Amino acid sequence: MVVSVDGAADVTTGPARKARRGTRRSALRGLLGATAALALAPLVAASRPARRQDSHGHGHGHVPAPAPALGLGLGANAFDETYLGRHLLGRLVPPVGVADTGRWEVTVDGRPLHLMRRADGTWLSMVDHYRSYADPLEAVRAAVDELGPGQMLRPAAATGRHTHMGGDHGLHP
Amino acid sequence: MAYIRKDVSTLTTGERRRFVRALLELKRRGEYDEFVRMHIDYYTSDGERGLRTAHMTPSFLPWHRRFLLDLEKALRRVDPSVTVPYWDWTRDRATTSVPWTADLLGGNGRRSDRQVMTGPFAHATGNWTIRDGVTDTEFLTRDLGRARDPIGLPTKADVEWALSDPVYDVSPWDSTVTRGFRNKLEGWGTGRGSTAWLNHNRVHRWVGGAMVGGASVNDPVFWLHHAFIDLLWTRWQRRHRTHRYLPAEPPLPDSSQFRRVVARHQRLPPWNVTPDQLEDAGRIYRYA
Repeated sequence: MVVSVDGAADVTTGPARKARRGTRRSALRGLLGATAALALAPLVAASRPARRQDSHGHGHGHVPAPAPALGLGLGANAFDETYLGRHLLGRLVPPVGVADTGRWEVTVDGRPLHLMRRADGTWLSMVDHYRSYADPLEAVRAAVDELGPGQMLRPAAATGRHTHMGGDHGLHP
Repeated sequence: MAYIRKDVSTLTTGERRRFVRALLELKRRGEYDEFVRMHIDYYTSDGERGLRTAHMTPSFLPWHRRFLLDLEKALRRVDPSVTVPYWDWTRDRATTSVPWTADLLGGNGRRSDRQVMTGPFAHATGNWTIRDGVTDTEFLTRDLGRARDPIGLPTKADVEWALSDPVYDVSPWDSTVTRGFRNKLEGWGTGRGSTAWLNHNRVHRWVGGAMVGGASVNDPVFWLHHAFIDLLWTRWQRRHRTHRYLPAEPPLPDSSQFRRVVARHQRLPPWNVTPDQLEDAGRIYRYA
């Protein structure tokens, strides 16, 4: 018998898929119950524009400077721009209640792009999953950099499941 | 008796053919795409709530070890002679060397749309249609070395930097830790440029295309890459024999990581197995 992370003795011997549903539910419970701890941090992180500097060495200490809004007349919590011929649209969905920190809704040419937040306040996207960027707009631009010519993000409706956009454990319950 | 996982550069013509054929058969049966989806499902980032099992977490190594074992088991149901080869990217570093040959994984994507045009996983073969991708393209994409802004593969020195750390992982057990073998190998750095991608992460970027996205399993090089990562874990274990998987005990309720990481004797979802039970796979397979 193996003890699971939530403390319950686990006797699951069925296929992985069965266990996976439990994982998703657990993740969603955690999401709804504990987001208060993240209050304000994403708002601050989200307001930073793309930075143009390099840092060196393997160490940390990457402290992004506070920055003005994105200069598109939309404020710090939204962007609407054309980048490499792609239409990037993003907005911070305002928090609902104290347990919500808000989340970014982003599209590239009208197709949703799921963003994930890293513990250091940076962002990564479904397209570019193995490094992170200082703010949502930079993460979205980096995703566009990775898209080949003519490639479109898969429409959410085409999959009929959340997992395509980063899993049921993400910010899109 | 344990079977052998080989360096992909040492596979015979017949071994290459059987490995490829088994992969294509799993794809034909729909089993392969289940692996693609499972990897997407378990990617939980550490800036969000929830249990992290596969990435940005101590169980990055045992999770992928078990994931490879599941794929290998499926391959061996098709052909009992097949094992997952590893790609030693500290040695085979050219865009034309193994595994990028026509008898293995095929070559780079073409410049216009990054579509892989050669080898058994080219879309035109009809055998490798991407169904669970990030984009709506049905063909496999690669951008070896990132043509527009070149990036190098990790070096032996980069690997040594990770291997020489005697501690498996450190609190807070996430992508922000700067010490510990696990994250030095997984490769979450900070900042931009060369420090943003390290070791495991950097190889995903170097291959590019499908491999840099959430659906990276769509490129079969995923398995060869992770077999080498798994091999590096065994090397680390041999070098630091008194050191084990950490954390040994679950984080306490006052910790930010409470119920968010898997301790040594806790169940590692989706399987009914613990990191402790996955630390030594020597009775199942060995590396040549």
